[in-house]
Amino acid sequence: MAEQNILLRMEGICKTFPGVKALDNAQLTVRKGTVHALMGENGAGKSTLMKCLFGIYSKDAGHIYLDGKEINFKNSREALDNGVAMVHQELNQALKRNVMDNIWLGRYPKMGSGKLPVVSEKKMYDATMKVFDELGVKVNPKTVMSTMPVSQRQMVEIAKAVSFNSKIIVLDEPTSSLTETEVEHLFEIINMLRDRGCGIIYISHKMEEILRISDDVTIMRDGQYIATRAAKDLTMDEIIRLMVGRELTNRFPPKDNVVSNENIMEVQGITAMYSHLKDVSFSLKKGEILGVAGLDSSGRTELLENIFGYATRKSGKLFKNGKPIGNKTSRESIQNGFALLTEERRATGIFGILNIQENTVISSLKKYLNYGFVLSNKKMAEKTKWSIDAMHIKTPSQKTKIRSLSGGNQQKVILGRWLLTQPDILLLDEPTRGIDVGAKYEIYQLILDLAKQGKSVIMVSSEMPELLGVCNRILVMSGGRLAGEVNADTATQEEIMTLAAKYA
Amino acid sequence: MQNFKALSNKDKGRYIANWMLDHAMIIIIILMAIYVQSQKPAFFKIPSLVNILSLTAVRLPMALGVAGCIILAGTDLSGGRVAGLTAFISAILLQKAGASGKFLPNLTPPNLLLVILAVMAIGAIVGLVNGFCMGKFKLHPFIVTLATQMITYGVYLTVSGSKQISSLDTSYTTSFVTKSLFKIGPTSVPMYVLLAIILTAIVWFIWNKTTFGKNMFAVGSNEEAARVSGVNVLLTIVGVFMMAGALYGYTGFVEAARLGGSTATLGLNYESDAIAAVVIGGVSFVGGTGKISGVILGVFMMQLIMSGMTFLGISGNVTYIIKGAVILVACILDMRKYMVKK
Amino acid sequence: MKKFLALALALIMMLAVSAPALAAQDAYVFWYTFGDVYLSTVRDAMDVEMKEEGLNAINQDANGQQATQTDQVNTALVSGASALVINVCESGSIGVAETLLNAAKAYDLPCVFFNRALSTDDAEVKALLDSYEKTVFVGTLFDQAGKMQGDMIGQYVLDNYDAIDLNGDGVITYVMFKGDEANQEAIFRTQYGVENADAILTAAGKPALKFYDEGNASKYLVDLNGTWSNTASFEYMQTILAQYNEANGNMVELVIANNDDMALGAVNALTVAGYNTGEEGAKVIPVFGVDATDAAKELIANGRMVGTIKQDNVGMADAVAHITANLVNGKDKFDALNENYTIVDGWMVAIPYAVYTGE
Repeated sequence: MAEQNILLRMEGICKTFPGVKALDNAQLTVRKGTVHALMGENGAGKSTLMKCLFGIYSKDAGHIYLDGKEINFKNSREALDNGVAMVHQELNQALKRNVMDNIWLGRYPKMGSGKLPVVSEKKMYDATMKVFDELGVKVNPKTVMSTMPVSQRQMVEIAKAVSFNSKIIVLDEPTSSLTETEVEHLFEIINMLRDRGCGIIYISHKMEEILRISDDVTIMRDGQYIATRAAKDLTMDEIIRLMVGRELTNRFPPKDNVVSNENIMEVQGITAMYSHLKDVSFSLKKGEILGVAGLDSSGRTELLENIFGYATRKSGKLFKNGKPIGNKTSRESIQNGFALLTEERRATGIFGILNIQENTVISSLKKYLNYGFVLSNKKMAEKTKWSIDAMHIKTPSQKTKIRSLSGGNQQKVILGRWLLTQPDILLLDEPTRGIDVGAKYEIYQLILDLAKQGKSVIMVSSEMPELLGVCNRILVMSGGRLAGEVNADTATQEEIMTLAAKYA
Repeated sequence: MQNFKALSNKDKGRYIANWMLDHAMIIIIILMAIYVQSQKPAFFKIPSLVNILSLTAVRLPMALGVAGCIILAGTDLSGGRVAGLTAFISAILLQKAGASGKFLPNLTPPNLLLVILAVMAIGAIVGLVNGFCMGKFKLHPFIVTLATQMITYGVYLTVSGSKQISSLDTSYTTSFVTKSLFKIGPTSVPMYVLLAIILTAIVWFIWNKTTFGKNMFAVGSNEEAARVSGVNVLLTIVGVFMMAGALYGYTGFVEAARLGGSTATLGLNYESDAIAAVVIGGVSFVGGTGKISGVILGVFMMQLIMSGMTFLGISGNVTYIIKGAVILVACILDMRKYMVKK
Repeated sequence: MKKFLALALALIMMLAVSAPALAAQDAYVFWYTFGDVYLSTVRDAMDVEMKEEGLNAINQDANGQQATQTDQVNTALVSGASALVINVCESGSIGVAETLLNAAKAYDLPCVFFNRALSTDDAEVKALLDSYEKTVFVGTLFDQAGKMQGDMIGQYVLDNYDAIDLNGDGVITYVMFKGDEANQEAIFRTQYGVENADAILTAAGKPALKFYDEGNASKYLVDLNGTWSNTASFEYMQTILAQYNEANGNMVELVIANNDDMALGAVNALTVAGYNTGEEGAKVIPVFGVDATDAAKELIANGRMVGTIKQDNVGMADAVAHITANLVNGKDKFDALNENYTIVDGWMVAIPYAVYTGE
């Protein structure tokens, strides 16, 4: 690597938090005009490294050079002004404001000579359109953010980074909420930025994507630098080996559950009141893992929410074990033996400031009552211990706040919570989103174990390999309707994609 | 909305019901107004409308100030007492020369403009304290402004010695604030209506056309995002509360002239009325949303209701119940808009 | 914008459907607060008296706020009121009354002020009211209540001197509760309630009353909210009793309050401490008030309070209603007025007080 081609060099970065060495001599070198994937399991130190770059954390030791000059940003604004931008996984935007207000927030174009603090809407609009045209983004700059899907909001965030003329753009899990076509569009944009000479730091768990889009791959483990390789020299298994530090040849556990012939649930023509979900019918067998595939707004999540009564149904019937059931509210559904693991873990899953025990028992509190009204600490601790053991949750204690756990462990706590309500039918919405490879395997294993115990699972996922690897059967949604059904053991990704595009 | 005709009958019904709910506040108030009108035909005659307009003009500046604070997802309880203090200061500065028991016996009334600027500056200082405590120490606006409300009142009582000030200079009262711009029958449209219009225009400009205004909405909508984008959040919060304080200061200036004096109860609970009006006008406590037109409409509706009840001769007791109910309904309808339907 | 259009449309509709006016003789009565106990008795009487005079009384509550009242007056003017009857919130600020009177003048309507004084300066009030034909103030002579209360106290203390002097030091210590710092009547009652009592005592060779707390130069405790409330006096009394009691030999031996509400608060605090319980043999600290409210009358009947000054609520209501009717009907304002009421200088009608120490 010739020195003049190097855009960003971070070397010898150390960062210690009380009790934890988060970064230990970490390094990262990004060349001009390349996409550089930064990989590692959750907790490997990727985000800490990025926070040190942006000055959100101050590093204990080490040096950062941008274009050969040593830099030490104090905050993310200073980084932005020097051409270093980050698009966060969890978009941090002013949702009530429109697109261009968000892009130019903090540096609004001003009227005339710019001496007065009066904003020029016209300049702002034109500048926004210019960036959008360059990137091929088709969004009206005057749209209010909250009315747009996450994928478009993410495009806006990328456009914002570009509008700063950034040399380095960090993309943190950029595809986690994008559909296939949107991913393609994003890749086009990334390629364009690469051609311009930008350096892209790409953080993702999706290995297929990384192998496709990146030039270089840096792998981290336990806060340490492990290796930097050219992407073309790497295989998926090799990456996994470097990341987990051991061989992990199988991404999925063996599918050894037995599906019974007995129907446990029958769904007849459900149509949603407030969403585009229309006339969906299917049946679910005992011990079955049923996948739901589809593009981002195909109605997958809505299907689960309608079954669970979290969303209002306009019409349609539900039967469990042949008997009609209402499931009009979440409460009723829980009583009927349903459980729903929501898609947005942070927003609707965990109670961040509460501890693991509280998070575990919250849905089944009635079971821990003494004398009918006093909560028994002993009973709650017992059940929480069961959950921690059964789910292999890694935590110092039951009293640890859930937000200090990794995503995978949080998800296991929630799964444990639902199992305590003793459901027969689990509705899982993106159960492995934002979870690292090792932890994903454990979640798959848990799902299979549940099926083997005779429980039935409906699992929504955007990752087709995951659906094919874990499920018995896959429903494909498209444009709010059921487009078809495939056998997971024989179907291909192409087959699913074709169905997913049916009504889109 | 898709073609209305294309909808099924059931959907049509739902569409109409939704439309009615979205505009329920306006419908309720129109129905109320129609009822008042049928009982007391003078309600929608010019003098009555001018009266409601004048009352709106009095309340509007404070509501605009509070609205800014609510857009920041905060609130401000100090308004009423700030107005009380500045009313007193305006009154002692502009007391008639040679009035018996003059508070500042040797003072000849200074230039009016100076007095307005002075009291607005005093209000802004209270706002500065509010905004600084909130932005710097992350205190909850409720508690900060509750504290400054008490402090302001205490300062007022100490300085004034609980004295009531009257005999104001006519250059201040009848020749300026309450001066008749023009008359419609016996009802005159006073100067403070014009002043309110000017202030509202200025505030509209600040909200919608300046970087400060845009920053205010951004901070209210997502403080973190604003900070990351390099917005000076502290300065924005301080600015919004100072602007609010200045508007409260102006309110005090007008009130003393309008009522013909300053007293200890002046300003009491003004902030609650202002907050109620702002909420009726669709400025949400969620933060980040609100329009000047909404605030005007909110204050106007509030006055329409109050005036309507006076017309009907409804007793004070019932007035409170109706007022409270209207606020509650307005909030419910407002939240309904932000609730994502599932 | 759509909302404005909808509103405008509705307004036009309403103007179109509005029926012709019914000529009702509405007298709007503006009360400074519905929360005042004595005024509530006047309000009840006023409703009756107004009806007898052929007027329809419409009561409005300003909740103690002048701004609210001014708004209500302005609204009433445009609503077609026949007369304004005002119990001003701010007594002591002539500017306020002037603003209200000017509003009435503009509509050439009768405007009767009552109960609460318009200013501390009678000459100022006279000058203002003389400027308009259709106005008058119906009240009481400010100093009368205080003077009568003082006389009553002086006589009572003289008659029961040794029983009242709990610590036997020959001097009676007292506490005075003032309703509102700036209110003219409160000022007079506070002054004369003690002065007149002292005059009687010293004439009989006894020492003057002594304020219980020598450190307090003002010699009264005031309701900081200016609402003459029993809450204020209750809390004061409770605080006092913690420090001044029989065990310390410095018990407060006499309680004087500007009104019965405050007297009631003091009695309640005393009751908590074991005094004025109304039970057989319980010690009674003499408590005096003004207004003769129902609650005070009951306390007096039970022996828990000694006396009060009766404001004639029915007389007040009768005078106001009568004068208002005269003005509305174009008669002389004092036409056929009850002779018990004193007309002062042509601008004021004074309703007499009476001592009340039980039926």
